Amino acid sequence: MTHDEKLRQAQLVFYAEDVSEIEQELDGFLELSGARCAMLIDRGGHLVTRRGESVGESPESVAALAAGSFAATREMARLMGEDDFNTLFHQGTRESIQLSQIGDRALFAIVFDDRSNLGLVRFYAEESQGRLRELFQEMTRRQAERVDEDPARGLAADFSSSAAAALDELF
Amino acid sequence: MVQINFAQKQVNAKIVYYGPGMSGKTTNLEVIHQRAPEPNRGDLTSISTDGDRTLFFDFMPLDLGTVAGMRTCFQVYTVPGQVYYNSTRKLVLQGVDGVIFVADSSPDMMEENLESLRNLQENLSEYGRSSEEIPLVIQYNKRDIPGALPIEVLEEKLNQRGAPAFEAIANTGQGVFPTLKALAAAVLDSLHKSSGSSVPASAPAAQPVAAPQAATAQPSAPAPAAAPAPQRQTISMSQTGFHKAPSLPLQGAAAPSEAQAPDKGARPPQNAATTPGPQALGGLQLKGGSEGDGGGLRMAQPATPPAPEQPPTQPSLSMAVPPQPPAAAPAPTQAPPATATATAKPQTPPANRPATPGSMMRPDGGSPPPRRAPASKSFPSKVQEAHATPKGGKPKSAALTVLIVVASIGLGAALGSFVLQIL
Repeated sequence: MTHDEKLRQAQLVFYAEDVSEIEQELDGFLELSGARCAMLIDRGGHLVTRRGESVGESPESVAALAAGSFAATREMARLMGEDDFNTLFHQGTRESIQLSQIGDRALFAIVFDDRSNLGLVRFYAEESQGRLRELFQEMTRRQAERVDEDPARGLAADFSSSAAAALDELF
Repeated sequence: MVQINFAQKQVNAKIVYYGPGMSGKTTNLEVIHQRAPEPNRGDLTSISTDGDRTLFFDFMPLDLGTVAGMRTCFQVYTVPGQVYYNSTRKLVLQGVDGVIFVADSSPDMMEENLESLRNLQENLSEYGRSSEEIPLVIQYNKRDIPGALPIEVLEEKLNQRGAPAFEAIANTGQGVFPTLKALAAAVLDSLHKSSGSSVPASAPAAQPVAAPQAATAQPSAPAPAAAPAPQRQTISMSQTGFHKAPSLPLQGAAAPSEAQAPDKGARPPQNAATTPGPQALGGLQLKGGSEGDGGGLRMAQPATPPAPEQPPTQPSLSMAVPPQPPAAAPAPTQAPPATATATAKPQTPPANRPATPGSMMRPDGGSPPPRRAPASKSFPSKVQEAHATPKGGKPKSAALTVLIVVASIGLGAALGSFVLQIL
């Protein structure tokens, strides 16, 4: 496995300071673009953070579908001999959503309505994408240096057993 | 990879149900959705064909609540089982943390089971991952069908790795939760890469790569803080509470032999007379995809009224666009209608679908949820508007017309005065 592949495979843990920087970037983007909501989603479809207004009742489902949709598009690109389709856009009557790739690790999802427009969103999204990409690279690099450490060391020692017990209580 | 988000105080893990077509993967998910308490379950989203076959994936978030200060959530997916959909099946495996392989116990399905298991290994290896390193639990489903293969045979053929294994009749709910709990425990356990450093002795020990030590079953319906032993486990239904099932109340459940149709028993019936409506399930089902196009999206949303009268075709536009400077793309000009990818149409009500005899009972004595609700909600879109005349087109032509009219009047006036002067 190459060094790059190792970096991609390494578990990414989101610490408060990292997410704070990401959120600052997303807040700035929302202010400039007039978009409704900005979400950062990891490649597995988990929501990393969301800023702005809520979208629907289940942001987790939106994140999962966005990741699935983007993954399908990437596969299409591969079949067509393209390196990547790095931006995906869905237009609705009231709301539209743009998905952009942030490196290999994340997706940048932007929901906007008629208070903004595609040109504005894309202009500021490209700027933010670059900065988010740098943030992720830095996070990945920092965590790759600590690859031998237990990524879950910040969790309580009894986290696993407590979670299993919670699942037992559920069913 | 399990996402640990200390900023949001959240741990997210991705679990995928894998297996051959019609083995009962979606049924497992439906039972979990049906039985999970309202605050802990998210919407059940299904991207499927009109024949109730999973097209891309089914998905539901399962929230365990706050555990040791962290909100813990499992994102549970199924894959399409049919061979044809391998490309989409592979996509769902991206970032997976644990796999439940749902095998069909029918003798006719052994080859499909083996093929699906091979396919799982291939697809994982394309992500640079090995099936040995990922927590895996096997579920032998449809144990009630006549001629179901003996567990020993299934174990020998499908479980050479010695993963924890469970018997199940998914459409009655039996065996569904022990399987899920065992995998969840294994996934949570795998969080701690350095074994023993921070994993307490009482932690769940459903080791995914446990050495096969005993072909006989070990009781492993995980009790709180007492998880499956780290050895090969084939859990029979009686051991997991098949008859008693404190966690699986079976009021009114039929005997196993009567509880499931032989072939399509893994699919719940669609008979409205015997199945709860979407309201009873707390769900609006939302589906994109006309009856004819074979694609659909369904989301069960609690307490949302159905909207069956939406227009049948409301294409939503979806396209990939390369990044361009805003000056080149200020307006939705890159939106050819040919790229519209989804249409929405009200679904055929379940009442029109044939019931599956013998598969009516669900663990709580009612019927399994219908795969499709009568209600549907269309996705509105504005494809036509997107291709309207570009902004500024109409004002320009109007200004030109005015200019021509003014010029004509001026010219006419000048000509008139010239003629008058001559006269």
